[in-house]
Amino acid sequence: MKEQEQEPEHYHKNFVNHIRPRYVPDEVLSVLYTFCLGGLSFLAFIVLGATGILLMFHYLPGDSSGFSSVITIASVIPYGGMIRNIHYWAAQIMVVTVNLHMLRVVWTHSYKSPRQLNWLVGVGLLIFVLVLDFTGYLLIGSQESGAAATVALHIVELIPSMGMGLGKIGLGNPSSLSGSTLVVYVWHCVGLPMIALILQLYHFWRIRQDGGVRPL
Amino acid sequence: MARQLEWTRRSVLRLAWVGIVAASALTFKPLIQYLTSDEDQLRSPLVFYEKSLAENSDWQKASNSRVWVRQDTLGIMAMVATCTHLGCEVNYHPEKKEWLCPCHGSIYDSEGRPIYGPALKALPRVAVNRQPNGSLIINTSKQVGLDARL
Repeated sequence: MKEQEQEPEHYHKNFVNHIRPRYVPDEVLSVLYTFCLGGLSFLAFIVLGATGILLMFHYLPGDSSGFSSVITIASVIPYGGMIRNIHYWAAQIMVVTVNLHMLRVVWTHSYKSPRQLNWLVGVGLLIFVLVLDFTGYLLIGSQESGAAATVALHIVELIPSMGMGLGKIGLGNPSSLSGSTLVVYVWHCVGLPMIALILQLYHFWRIRQDGGVRPL
Repeated sequence: MARQLEWTRRSVLRLAWVGIVAASALTFKPLIQYLTSDEDQLRSPLVFYEKSLAENSDWQKASNSRVWVRQDTLGIMAMVATCTHLGCEVNYHPEKKEWLCPCHGSIYDSEGRPIYGPALKALPRVAVNRQPNGSLIINTSKQVGLDARL
């Protein structure tokens, strides 16, 4: 308390100074406890956001334009191949680290009280990451993307009464030769990442609220 | 007494910030090149050749396109230097009077007929017209036969 009184007034109002905790207990610095898997996943998410925005400048969603614009980005646009590769591999890494992160949380019993809610948020985030990965796969627009879109569409349409509508809202009208549609593009670039980002920030805030990372 | 260099949490984080800013500065030029690239913009099928063309000259390249023009005793012809195999730009070698494809080794003779390699079709000839000011206008979307001349 005494220490706080000596600090200048703007320190308490500054948001940046509140991003990091005031003190860090020694035990939580152990890398072998968390393996930084959550942090690595978030880093991959930031990289995906930055490279994804860059790809949006040259990518053209659509049945006939999707695949050819990906090929153009990868082979003709300066540094386009590098940006696409970083986006692709960051996505692969994120799916792996997110799953390992879940295994770690189970291993260290971190899903138990008082962290039940944060476990559920994490399960939600896992689904978001997998759907983002899947929609990214569709946006490549290759024949495999078209096949995957067709399978997904047929599964969604099995849901009684609302299946057709859900398929339209979620996937649009993908052809079986190219899964790239404007609808998938909007979900992949705006809808899903926005919700995932908000959920992640809530996920991090809850860690601090539930007492921080610490060995039980 | 030498001052002890102390690596506090604060100084490590400050060094990390400097590293991030320096690394970001290195991405400046690549980003500008990426964002200003117009390689994927739609191009007009019309190409202009404004220099004068001597009779019985060898193939001459129109700037900023793959179009080459030539004039023989029968007239002016225009050709697109895109390999009919997989679309690479072929290079003209005037000393051999041959077109060589750098990708898969297709070779075309001076007239653009395939003589070696995976390409089976001749290099495409396109329509050429003379504008009122004397320069040539080539319509790359309009293919013509091997013996078409202006």
